[in-house]
Order: sequence, then structure tokens, then C-alpha cells
Amino acid sequence: MRSIQTTHTFPLSSVKPLDGLLRYRGYCLEQTRKTLKIRRRRREQSPVGDASLDPFGYVDGLEYLRCPESGSFFLAQLPSAEDLAHLLADVSQYRKSPLAFHADIATLRSDSVYLPKLEWIQSTLRLQGLDRPRLMEVVTPPSDFTPLLQGSGLFAEVRTVGEMDLIMTYNASGQLDKNKDANGSEKGAGVEAAVLLESLDRVDDPRTLLHAVSESLREGGLIFVTALVCSGFDIAVLGLRNLYIYPPDRANCFSLKGIELLLMRAGFALLEVSTPGVLDVEIIQAHLRHDPAIPLSTFERQLVDADEETRAAFQSFLQERRLSSFARIVGRKK
Amino acid sequence: MNCLIFGYGYMGKIRYQVLRRHPEVQSITVVDPAMDPSTAGLDGVLLPPTEKIPWERFDAAFVCTPNNVTAELCVEGLRHCGHVFCEKPPGRNWQDFCRISEAATALPRHTLVFGFNHRLHPCVQAARALIGKGGLGDVLYIKGTYGKSGGARYRDGWRNKREISGGGILLDQGVHMLDIFQFFVGQLTVVDAVLTDSFWDCGVEDNAFVLLRTRDGVPVFLHSSATLWKHTFRIEIGCVDGYLIASGFLSQTGSYGREQLVVGRREFEDEALALGNPREEIIHFDRDDSWDKEVSDFIAAIKDGRPANHGTLDEARSVMEIIRDVYALAERRDIKGKS
Repeated sequence: MRSIQTTHTFPLSSVKPLDGLLRYRGYCLEQTRKTLKIRRRRREQSPVGDASLDPFGYVDGLEYLRCPESGSFFLAQLPSAEDLAHLLADVSQYRKSPLAFHADIATLRSDSVYLPKLEWIQSTLRLQGLDRPRLMEVVTPPSDFTPLLQGSGLFAEVRTVGEMDLIMTYNASGQLDKNKDANGSEKGAGVEAAVLLESLDRVDDPRTLLHAVSESLREGGLIFVTALVCSGFDIAVLGLRNLYIYPPDRANCFSLKGIELLLMRAGFALLEVSTPGVLDVEIIQAHLRHDPAIPLSTFERQLVDADEETRAAFQSFLQERRLSSFARIVGRKK
Repeated sequence: MNCLIFGYGYMGKIRYQVLRRHPEVQSITVVDPAMDPSTAGLDGVLLPPTEKIPWERFDAAFVCTPNNVTAELCVEGLRHCGHVFCEKPPGRNWQDFCRISEAATALPRHTLVFGFNHRLHPCVQAARALIGKGGLGDVLYIKGTYGKSGGARYRDGWRNKREISGGGILLDQGVHMLDIFQFFVGQLTVVDAVLTDSFWDCGVEDNAFVLLRTRDGVPVFLHSSATLWKHTFRIEIGCVDGYLIASGFLSQTGSYGREQLVVGRREFEDEALALGNPREEIIHFDRDDSWDKEVSDFIAAIKDGRPANHGTLDEARSVMEIIRDVYALAERRDIKGKS
């Protein structure tokens, strides 16, 4: 297994500025509350294993529960799968609207968020000797990543599949054609690679999503996953005070151990587990500017107030030791 | 498959463990006259030294002995089993290698593999995938340093007794680096070399500085050393569109440090970044399965009746030609480099 560090840096303002995020976050919370009023079910077991979930805390009145096995935490109340699919589609559309911060910094986000991910996929394909695979992008459209994938020339074909559609089709497959995979293709005629950018953070049933993806992959096929992980520095320090934690985008916040277990239990061998995040320290600084009363230990305060060189060295250490909150994982279907 | 291991030292023990976990291996027998059967913990595995080797029972032989018996056992193994896995180096010298090569050539359906496992280490595999068409373009140069610190009992080891080993640190560790270089850029020839025996005074080189080049003139430089007080494995590869620095090496003791590969891309056209300080990615590796990979390749080659993918006779020949030429150069000079 390998992990990857990068010296590529970019400021928080170029990808998810806290001020801009607050408006988008407010919209997400409001729409989540509305959706939960329609129908709701309570999560009892951890998606990682079958452990019962422990109380953890609240985000703007919405309860989160904690997995005792892995430390991952999850939104306690979930909408029905159909309602969640509509909710995810709604916030995905909102991200494209002029009301959200995403549109204002679309070019910067492309350079700092999506192009490095494309390079990551490209270099992994090279290392694995995979030439022009067919790729399944698992996402709730519209996605800014789709045109980049399609225009990259790296793939023989790019299929974009709705993450909730995949789960619902898989769950219903008992009644459907057993010779088809969750993507509707003949079993065994699947794709060679699948990419899930933060999909596991927002779906109601991450385990089923992975099984559905696995069925759509050929044996030996690769899965590319990114996620925010609660074992990373800024989430570990701020906990549920971290304003980047909100439903539906972060209905699930796995620890690195949790997401590793989830993937392995779904039948993937892990080829890469990295946390190449560059923003942990800056995220805490931004929170302190927003709310100077956030309690930090003396040592934590020393770190975030340190000179630029010290902060950069610390961020580099977080990457090297898989302690940043942005995780990147490559698995191979066994 | 029934396997016979000659020699139960450092390498013999590694091969024994690798073979034990291979699904195709049914039995393992160890031959090592230096082992005391009562204390070896190899009940039913160690062949008593008085017993004749029942060759007919074995499908493959693993030669993990000191270098002075390598050639003889390889030849015997080839004649009796037809399939031999031999630790590096492929003999003490060119003459030893030629004995092995002749025996192999006389057997059309043989399998002969030499243990150059370093080329299968993850940092080396990743580097090879990235050079050339892998994205970094043609290689401009390679520099490699591989060395160890010796240790208090360094002088006493068989590796430093010329009559047993055939050479010093170049033949011991340097062969791995030479194999890796040729794995990257193909056949190399010797331009110049300086060997010294400046600290250990064992009568074999404790430092080798070897300048080589490819057919296309790409320069390659090796420093193989037994006086690197910090254990070091490092390869720098300059390419047209970037560079790679492999360093650290997953080993049983961990003394070479965490294995990693730095990948940098040439960026001088992009002046947004400080000139000469391009963005880098550092790949850290946590698992070395090179031992398993090379033995699996050997066993699969036997089973499928095909040539092995790594450590072939031709690859061993290329390495031994360099060793031969470097030692010939050194013979014409004083080994301490005084003349």
C-alpha cells in the first residue's frame, strides 16, 4: 500500500472560503430539515460494521451519532432514499447557481480541486498499467468533474451514474434481472474504474453503494474515493463545531480507519490510502476568525498561530502521517 | 511443487518463509551442513549432512549459499531438477557465471532465475512506470547510491573474504543497483571506475564509484559503499519532463528508512512558482512484496513452461559483464586508488 504527499498548495479561499460556505451551508441545513419533515428513519447501526451507534452531538439541532468501532460519525435521522435523492439533486443544482460561492470561484476550484484529482487518477492508471479504461463516475449530477473526465482523453468511455440511483437499483435488484449489474449492464461486462468524489460522505447507505459499484466493476477494477475524514486534524480539533460538517453533504464523516474498513469489507484491496490535504491549519484559523471563543488547547493555539514555515511543516507532517482531513483512497476489486 | 533450499542463512530463511506461504509449494527441504539439526527448529525439513540428496524428489532448487559454491550448486541443480532459483550475485566472477550459463544453455527446458528482488520493490516499480512514456519523458541521467555501515563484525563475514565472495561491496550490494539501472535504461557499458579499500582493509573494495553509459550516451553513476555510516538507498533519475528521487528501502530491520519516491515535474515555464522549486508529490510505500513476487514469477514460469519475467540469465549476464569490466579496470590500478 502507498500514501501520497504533495507540495502543491492553494488557499482556502480558492476552494471553499468559510464566508461563502456559510450561505451554502445554511441552504443545505434548511433543505435537509424540510426533507426530514416529509419522512424520516433513525440510523441504528454503523455503516462501517454492525455496531450500535453512540450519541455524539448536534449540528444546528440535527443529531449525529458515533461509531464506537471506528470513531466515524453519522447523521442520526435520514430521509427516505427517494427523498434524499431529491435533496442531493437540489443542493447539487444550487451549487451551480449564482447564489452559491462555487460559481464565483469556478476556475480556481477547477485548478485546485478537480485538476489534481484528474492527475491523481492518471498517475494511478499509469502505475497500475491500465490504459484507457472505461470509467464510471458516481455522483449526483451536475458535476464540474464530468466535463474534465470526458475531455481528458484518459478513458475509453465515461459513464456518469447517480449515486442514490445506484443504491436504489441495487436494493431493488432482487426483483430485477439478476444478470444485470446495478448499472444496468450485463454482469461481467463492467467498467475498469470508478470514481466517487465524496459520495460516501452523503449517501444514506455507503455500504450498499460500494457493493453496487463493486458489481459494476470488472475483477481487478479500480475504485477512486475521496472523503473528508474526522480523524484529520481540523475535524478532530473542532469536532461538530467544524462548519464544514453539515447535511446532506456531510451526512457521514468517516474516520480514515472507518473508510478503510468499509472498503475492505466491500471486497476491495487497498492500493493507496493518503491524506494529501493542505488546508487543516488554515481551516482552524478561519474558524477562529469567525468565532474567537472556540476553545483550543495551548498547544493547538501555538500551532495555528505559528509562523508560516512551522505551519507548512506541520501540514506536511499531517499529510505524511495520514492525519489530514482530506482523504484519497484507491482500491482494487478482489 | 517440492523445493530444495541450499543454505539456511539470512536469505535461506527468507526463501523458506516465502515458499511456506506459496500455494503451489507442497514440501520444502533444507540442506545446510553448518546447521545443527537438534537446534535448528527444522524438524523434518533439514536434511542430515550425512544423507545423500534425493534429487528425484525435488522440482526446484534454491541456492542461498555463500558465493564460492553458487556456481557448483546451480549447475547441479540444473542437471538434476532443471529449475533453479539462485541468489545474487550470479557467481563470484565472470568464470563462475559462464559455468552456470553453459549448464543452463545445455538444457533447453530449464528455468533459471537470479534473485534481483530490488527491481520489484515498490519505489523502483513506480519509478519505472513513470519514466519515458509514463509521463516524465526520456531519461537524461541516473545517479544511485547504495551503502551500509558495515558494523563491528564486518571484517569477519564471508562477504569480505575474496576467496569466498569474489569481490567486495560492488558485488554484494552494487549488483542490485546495476540491475535496477538496466531495468530502467537497458544495457550499460563501463566508462570508468574507481574502487577503494580505504577503511575496512579487507582486500576487497569497500567503496566503488562506477561511471556507465547507455548505448544512446545517457550517463549513469553508481556509488556502492560499505562506509556509509547511515544505511542509504537513493536513486535520482533526471528526465526531460521531470525527475524522480527514490530513497529509503523497506527492509526487515527498517534501517534504510521509509521507502518513498519523490515525483517532480519540470515547471520552469510556469513562473507562478519559484524557479527551481517545482511542485512535488511524495509517494510513501508501506509494503514490500518483492520476495513473494519474484518467487511467484519463478514458480509460474516453471508451471507455464515460459521464461521468467525477472532475474533472467540475460539480465544476470548484463550485470556480470559490468562487474567483470569494473574489476578488470581496478586490477590495472591500485585498489586504493593511489596510482
